[in-house]
Amino acid sequence: MNKELTSIGGPVCNETLPAGLIFAEGQSLTHQNKEALWEIFEAIGTNWSNTIYNSNNQRSSWYEMLKAKTENAPNYAGEYVNAIYVINELKAMYGTGGAYKKLFFESGLDNSAPPTTRLAHCKIYVVNEFIRMQITAGGFKSWGTKYGGEQARNYHGFLGGTRYNRTPRVRAYDPDTNNLKNNQE
Amino acid sequence: MKNQFDYIIVGGGVAAATTAKGLLEHKHDTSILILEAGPEIIAKDRRFWWDYITRGERPYTFTYDQKFEADSTGNIDYQTDGVRVKAYGGSTMHWGAWCLRFRPEDFNLFTNTGEGADWPINYEDLETYYNDAEAFLSVCGDDNANWVPRSKPYPVPPFEWTAADGEMIKAWEQLDVVYQDGDINPGKKSKIQSGKMPIARYRKCMTTGTCKYCPIGGRFNAQYVLDDLKNDTRFINFEVRVNSPVHQVNVSSKSKIESVTYTDNLSGNEYTVKGSTIILASGAYNVPKLLRASKNEFWKDGIGNDHDLVGRFVVSHSMLNVVGKASSNPNGWFQEYDFPTLMSHSYNTKEHQKKGKIFMFKNRTTPNVDIAQLMIDGKTREEIDEIVYGEMTINIQAFLEEKGKHRNRLEAKPGKDRFGLPQTTVHFSRTEEEMKNANDRLKLLEQIIEKMGLEVTSSRVDKPGGHHTTGTARMGTSPENSVTDKFMKVHNTDNLYVCSNAAFPTGSAVNPTLTLTAMAFRLVNHLIEKQTNQTNSNTNNANKTNTIQECLSRESN
Repeated sequence: MNKELTSIGGPVCNETLPAGLIFAEGQSLTHQNKEALWEIFEAIGTNWSNTIYNSNNQRSSWYEMLKAKTENAPNYAGEYVNAIYVINELKAMYGTGGAYKKLFFESGLDNSAPPTTRLAHCKIYVVNEFIRMQITAGGFKSWGTKYGGEQARNYHGFLGGTRYNRTPRVRAYDPDTNNLKNNQE
Repeated sequence: MKNQFDYIIVGGGVAAATTAKGLLEHKHDTSILILEAGPEIIAKDRRFWWDYITRGERPYTFTYDQKFEADSTGNIDYQTDGVRVKAYGGSTMHWGAWCLRFRPEDFNLFTNTGEGADWPINYEDLETYYNDAEAFLSVCGDDNANWVPRSKPYPVPPFEWTAADGEMIKAWEQLDVVYQDGDINPGKKSKIQSGKMPIARYRKCMTTGTCKYCPIGGRFNAQYVLDDLKNDTRFINFEVRVNSPVHQVNVSSKSKIESVTYTDNLSGNEYTVKGSTIILASGAYNVPKLLRASKNEFWKDGIGNDHDLVGRFVVSHSMLNVVGKASSNPNGWFQEYDFPTLMSHSYNTKEHQKKGKIFMFKNRTTPNVDIAQLMIDGKTREEIDEIVYGEMTINIQAFLEEKGKHRNRLEAKPGKDRFGLPQTTVHFSRTEEEMKNANDRLKLLEQIIEKMGLEVTSSRVDKPGGHHTTGTARMGTSPENSVTDKFMKVHNTDNLYVCSNAAFPTGSAVNPTLTLTAMAFRLVNHLIEKQTNQTNSNTNNANKTNTIQECLSRESN
């Protein structure tokens, strides 16, 4: 076990667990569980400023993922409930805003190592997957415009196209307007 | 369980799907059995898709050859692990769906260069079938492209170049084709042309960028076709059996193929099923292994192997790979699709055939920034902004054509994989001249990167691999130079066909699947004609018999 991984948490976060998915077949999430998990998802958008309006635009996609991951094997319900335990402890230690900052930016976790604490399970099976989901569901759009560039339209995983050909699927090459910035550099 | 069919097709990929569909559309009650060694893996499953998005897991990778199941010998490692999907739908479960025609010179490689082989047919013989294949696969292509002769427009408009393609397009416009030592007609030059990559789809693409497991069935997958055939009430005699590896083709005489024997992997039972015509459509790996395993009193060394040619002449593509770096990416570009959109055929011409044609394209994933991974790693918004608009990497790649050699051979090795198929060894070596040619071609790619104002950071020839393996039961004009005839019928047999990349005498510089699909359409046409001729012949014989009987009857009266 990687000891520094547990440095931001208390006894709940530090409790050791096997690295595999927490067994949860037959379990389901309560409404309260889902609301607590949604708070994590929203906090990701807030902390990285990567939702153009607000996270509610992604709520139906997020919920569909949650449903798929808890109603089919292997069931993620155990991981999701564990994440709520971890967040509750971190909130008690750092307050709500501080808890998420610690978890997202100062966890000290090795994201490629097998998770062997409750904190590591929360980060790898829940937070990291929520981050990927949020970016692919549209969060990527907030990048690309900083210097007046055109907004990115697509990303791996994003259902950006429509059945209408008039809607551009990606930023397309236009020889008259493209590449001006690079030429000026 | 039914054990007699008009057609038995071994393998459940695009060749099988195309052939079965063609035969069934012609005559709805044709009886066809498809035997697929691998399992059925559910497509368009939401949980599978979310696991792909959030964890990078794909549900079919467990069917890949493991390294220890498919090794290689020779002076270069031949990648055989992780390249083919052994499942219902075959490798179209994971393919890139690039759909490029071979060019006319590909059918005359030996005539043009003195190396490799010629096809027993020409491009013109296949052109109309290419049209059929493009319609079947719904290929999105550019009608204005002129890199290959075509008699019909593409069925669907092309995917546009992305903004990130622009710099390479401009670089190509500024570069003449640079002829290198060994190219034919070095005095003739032309500009490098930009093209739009033709891509197959099954339904309207919604650009998720997750083509390796499409959640909406947009990218073509043979599984969708086979599902449609199974669910079509017209085709009452069509059947697919998965988990059913064929390990023997049985004969009743030298020329007459009678049946195949397979194991039902779920029950462990062995079955023999009879077919009037047997079609081996199980790929360039499995076809030669199955032919050689089918030994009997008439074929001592395996069916079609009297001249020890089965499994020889393995052809692949080598990937040329050059990476360039720019100090900044002010537009925040990344390759928004999950496939390349920009290509060039300037070196995929007859003039470059002697030295080795290349098909160039901008890599499917660059430039790119994995924003989510940076967030996972704890980078702040400001730090990620620095990276998104900072250093940019662009990668140009090319497939290099290789020529079949007698000593390069694919064969079975002892042991079976988890699906009951024999394991594989590929004996493959490159010559020093081929290595030199490949490195020379790399220099062109480096020039393009430099013309874009980028610094070359990596330039390499990747190892060859099984992704595009061809040639292991190649077509030809006689049993002395080939395994199959011009209709992919195994020489000296009446009713055994190979519908696979295995039958290709050359591999060109482009992906083989469109050509395989066109060949499957051509095979369907051949089988229908053969069937019609047999029916007419039987009718004539019956008429003759009736006439004789009438005469005899009159005489006796």
